[in-house]
Amino acid sequence: MFELTTWMVLIPALPLAAALLTAALGPRLLKNKSHLPAVLCIAASFVCASILLWQVYQQTDDDGVPGGSSRVEKRLDLWTWAAVPAAMTHSGDSATDATTAEDSSFDFVIDVTLRTDPLSAIMLVMVTFVATLVAVYSIGYMNDDPGYWRFFTYVSLFVFSMTMLVSVSNFALLYVFWEAVGVCSYLLIGFWYQKPEASAAGMKAFLVNRVGDFGFALGVFLIWTTLGTLNFHDTEVDGVITQPGVFGQQVLSDGDYSSFPLATAGVLTAICLLLFVGACGKSAQWPLHVWLPDAMEGPTPVSALIHAATMVTAGVYMVARCTPLFVASGAAPIVVACIGCLTAIMAGFIAITQTDLKRILAYSTVSQLGFMFLALGTASLAGVVAGMFHLFTHAFFKACLFLGAGSVMHAMGGVIDIRRFGGLRKLMPVTHATFLLGCLALAGVIPFAGFWSKDAVLAAVHDAAHGDPSTNALFTTLYWLAWAAALCTAFYTFRAFFQTFYGEEEIPEEAGHHAHESPSTMTIPLMLLGFLALAAGALGPWFSNFLAHTPSLSMERLRGAEHAGFHWDVAIIGTVISVVGIGAAAFMYLRSPGTVSALTDTMKAAWLYQLSYGKLFFDQLYSVFIIWPLKILAHIFYVLDMLLIDGLVNLCGWLPRVFGAVLRPMQIGLVQFYALAMVLGLLVLIGILLR
Amino acid sequence: MGFHEQIDALIDDTQRSLALFGPELALCGTIILLLLCRLVIGDRLSSTLVAFAGTVVGLVAALFSWSQVAGTSQEAFTGMLVIDSFTIYFRIFLLAFAVLFVVFTWRSGIPDREDAADFYTLALGSLLGMCLMVAANHLLMVFMAFEMASVPSYVLAGILKGRRKSSEAALKFAVYGAGAAGIMLYGISLIAGVTGTVHLPSIGASLANTMAADPSSSVLWVLGLGGLMVMVGLAFKLSAVPFHFWAPDVFEGAAAEVGGFLSVASKAAAIALLVRVAIGFGFVQEASAWVDAEDQSVVQTTNGVDQTSIASASGETTSQIFIAARIQDGNSASGQNSQDVQTTGADHQQGTDQQDTDQQSGDQQGTDQQGADQQTELTQPDESQLSPEQQAAEAERLAEEARALGIAQRREAQEVANESLGPVRTYISYLVGFLAAITCTFGNMAAYGQSNIKRLLAYSTIAHAGYMMFAVAGAIPSIGTSTTLAQDHISALAVYVAVYLFMNFTAFAIIAFLRNQTGSEEISSYAGLIRTSPGLAVCFSLLLMSLIGLPPLAGFAAKLLVFSALADSGLWVLLIVGALNTVISLFYYLRVIKAMCLDVPEEGQQVAVFPIWKNIDGWFIFLLTLPVVVLGLFWGPLREWALAACSQLLS
Repeated sequence: MFELTTWMVLIPALPLAAALLTAALGPRLLKNKSHLPAVLCIAASFVCASILLWQVYQQTDDDGVPGGSSRVEKRLDLWTWAAVPAAMTHSGDSATDATTAEDSSFDFVIDVTLRTDPLSAIMLVMVTFVATLVAVYSIGYMNDDPGYWRFFTYVSLFVFSMTMLVSVSNFALLYVFWEAVGVCSYLLIGFWYQKPEASAAGMKAFLVNRVGDFGFALGVFLIWTTLGTLNFHDTEVDGVITQPGVFGQQVLSDGDYSSFPLATAGVLTAICLLLFVGACGKSAQWPLHVWLPDAMEGPTPVSALIHAATMVTAGVYMVARCTPLFVASGAAPIVVACIGCLTAIMAGFIAITQTDLKRILAYSTVSQLGFMFLALGTASLAGVVAGMFHLFTHAFFKACLFLGAGSVMHAMGGVIDIRRFGGLRKLMPVTHATFLLGCLALAGVIPFAGFWSKDAVLAAVHDAAHGDPSTNALFTTLYWLAWAAALCTAFYTFRAFFQTFYGEEEIPEEAGHHAHESPSTMTIPLMLLGFLALAAGALGPWFSNFLAHTPSLSMERLRGAEHAGFHWDVAIIGTVISVVGIGAAAFMYLRSPGTVSALTDTMKAAWLYQLSYGKLFFDQLYSVFIIWPLKILAHIFYVLDMLLIDGLVNLCGWLPRVFGAVLRPMQIGLVQFYALAMVLGLLVLIGILLR
Repeated sequence: MGFHEQIDALIDDTQRSLALFGPELALCGTIILLLLCRLVIGDRLSSTLVAFAGTVVGLVAALFSWSQVAGTSQEAFTGMLVIDSFTIYFRIFLLAFAVLFVVFTWRSGIPDREDAADFYTLALGSLLGMCLMVAANHLLMVFMAFEMASVPSYVLAGILKGRRKSSEAALKFAVYGAGAAGIMLYGISLIAGVTGTVHLPSIGASLANTMAADPSSSVLWVLGLGGLMVMVGLAFKLSAVPFHFWAPDVFEGAAAEVGGFLSVASKAAAIALLVRVAIGFGFVQEASAWVDAEDQSVVQTTNGVDQTSIASASGETTSQIFIAARIQDGNSASGQNSQDVQTTGADHQQGTDQQDTDQQSGDQQGTDQQGADQQTELTQPDESQLSPEQQAAEAERLAEEARALGIAQRREAQEVANESLGPVRTYISYLVGFLAAITCTFGNMAAYGQSNIKRLLAYSTIAHAGYMMFAVAGAIPSIGTSTTLAQDHISALAVYVAVYLFMNFTAFAIIAFLRNQTGSEEISSYAGLIRTSPGLAVCFSLLLMSLIGLPPLAGFAAKLLVFSALADSGLWVLLIVGALNTVISLFYYLRVIKAMCLDVPEEGQQVAVFPIWKNIDGWFIFLLTLPVVVLGLFWGPLREWALAACSQLLS
């Protein structure tokens, strides 16, 4: 009863139950108690996830060796959703067997299998924990919203999808839940669909993600045609492996895909890059990052949960999960590292001049996700662990920051522009304190969580820069670019912080009588997250040791690059940089506000300010190079439509009309004609026969 | 064999066959009861109740027979019918449909109290015909069953008395049906004339013989023509283009209930019959090399031709088997159908057979289980008297020997025969595939512009007939070459039909319930349904999405299987046509969903209020929609079952 498998089922099942319950009873019965099922079920789910993590941990620490060789994995085969055997293999004994390899037709089998290993256990705990706090927070934040029940339905549905996404053991199902979290995200961004910006943002997120998902889908197709399976695990029949999985024992012991005849390095690179396109879409990496800042139109708890802590990290999770593929491909991780680093610095640069508190945090998220991809791109155990650890700590401090921003927004009557309020530290002491904790963690100040994880990321890049000679130069460049990004991070974080909480007290008139500290349902989650932003870094060594027991990370090939020890130089540079960044912000926004405008003017002269403020004009670029051409194309088609008798769309209605011109008169009445038509039809068939 | 022996053989065969005929007998009984009740006790006993009880008994009998037939296929009524797992699968399907249909019509109230007896008599009569279609093993039976299913449905189409459209629909249906039946009968007579047999398994053998002798024989043209004409009849039932003209008119004119009946049950039976006929023409069964043994020649009037053809095909093999058959005859002193020899060739088989017989007949008679037990006890001593142990052992040994000797040679002969049938299969596959492609495309195209939901579903039904025929077209080429593959493909069809029952029938049920409230069957009248009755709108949307074939709903599973059958057979053109059609179908199904969920009802328009939890109607819809979701997520068991259903088709 109390086995791993029980928790594996309960963790996603409880939020699903909550979603169904709230959807069914919300509008009529629960009304403004709609949070009850969601909060209770998600909290229960968190408890289950904690127990699961504990039980998984119990199994790892047997050997006591750091990063020991034992692989901890538990699978629960629920049922086989699709099993369509290939034509050739299943005609059996006859001579057709010889053609099997040539035709390379594979059985199409999709097992609904849940898995748990250290990687997914950590993700589960993180997701359900943040979701619980966000759900509690939302009780206060969303109260008296007309769509109260709708909100909790979506959130529960999201938690279900996300926990499934990290639990499934199959690319097809991964894709399904990948889309499912996308749908939830879409629904929640456009939650206030009456607002045109919100529904436009939802649309934008959906469309940009579609580009990524298309790549992901192609990647999944390519995996199937190359490897003949979509399962992560081996398919076993009576203990004999009938079909090796994508991350099965064969692959893990070989360290590459040499046992699959079709999997050449080129194909693997193609697979990895296609999967990474998907990851770019979901995790808002350049060039598909444009949707995330706009997604801030959704309710703030959603921004905290989906667009900071959990869903956007799905891409990181997926790439981490696919480490064996990326390592085997060789070239793909470098692309990942480059894109990650580029995104980190680009988003950091943009965030410096933004004035919308939530957008600053959104760009910061994009930037931090870039750090995670940079770490994964080193294709070493240390890198993957560092990336996942950064994901883990980031979830806490970024959720803390977002919820803090939400608290500010709640008090300010929906105003989120940092120029319009200030000096809120006395008005909102709890929010101020927790926000500070989050900021310190994000800026990477010792001993906050962000320091340790960012340090691990940069240490991994540092190692990579001293590893393989062919990529040394590249990784050295990335290493210093990453520091530049870190400097931006420290600066913009504290810029936002000082402008919000320090200076003269300034309250916009929209705030009305709202301008006070938020209720306890909102502050308690803030305090918890603030504490974790401070303390989660202490988990570092345990975390990396634990994560190394993940089967797909325990390949021999990854082992060589282990010993991502503590680098003093990295730590010192990190501290210096964060102090410089915070100092600069403090100097400019607290001491002598005059320098701000002076500097702004200088920057404006160099067009840097406009570049940053205009978000590097990506939206405009896309409009000019993608949206406008498409619109022009649409117009061309529209004109063609007009010319070609109302065009393609009407043609669809027109074809039946053409048929109808012949057929409908008969259809209306004359039964004699029906008989004639039957005879004619028969004659036509006879004609074909006699041909 | 003397006259008396032949009479005995006949009686024995009839007894054995009746035992396999339980569900149909239940239907017959119900029909008679319905008619008698009306005469004798008038309105005091609700006809609906009688019909319900009768169909439930039939369904139970059908389910019961599933566990019984586990062995191989058996011919019944001197080869007129064949009872195998395929028959039983479809029989269960049809009777389950009948039960649901009775419940549905009871709730929707379309046959009013006065009409109920007539309505159910006709519907059950038609269902009986469909059960026979599914089991038909003989071209005459094919025709009989076809007519038996059709004629009552002509009347059903016009059951809404006094409505001009309804009467018109019925008349058109009847005239069109008569034409189709005529052409089909012509085709049957051509085939009978050329092959010299109308027994389906023998046709294949005869055809193989002709093909082997002269692959370009002009006789084949006549056969092709005959096949084409038979196909016309089937295409009429399937409403395949260009023999579909009746469908939109009838669906629009007739009540939605009748529409559901025609679109699900009638179609299922027709597609099963198509499979039977196609296999009959394109496949030489192992058994058919010797099934028409002497002792059957009385019944099989056309045997002369047949036997010679077979003798030449399998040579001495046949004689070996005849010995076994004779010994068997001698032992049991009965004209036991020689197929029993094929299965085990021993007496205990017969014993169990008779046991089965008794159990089943006991079941039919109602609940008198004790009587059945007694009968069983009676038979067993009888049995031992007839066949002393020694004789039995001897028979078994001889039969085994004969089998061992015969099997290899028989297999070989069968393979040779099947190989020569290759062109026939290609012909059938192309014919069915061609019809399927145009049916599917036409159905989807025409559905596009419809504003009446019943008319839309009529065209959608036509399109789905196309998808089902795809499965048949995909299965036929592999029938003679790879039995497992062919069975796999036909099982895709069986899955499709089962899923289709829930999708389409429930959609018609929703239409009928909504019609009862608003009196309208226009798509525009569904505007705003999501607000007034969200549960119903969700169910209807799920059904429509399943009809499109979106995962993870059952329609997807069915389509996936059908399309993979096409891919396996290398029929890429059909696969592309099918895929494109799925895309086209997206538009018009989604249009209905859009009307329900997004459109705002016009001023003063009556919007139906249909709570899904509060009354039986709602539960009925909900419980029928549930399988569409559940079967989409767990379709493994259904597929296993469908595979089992097809496992005896090509034995």
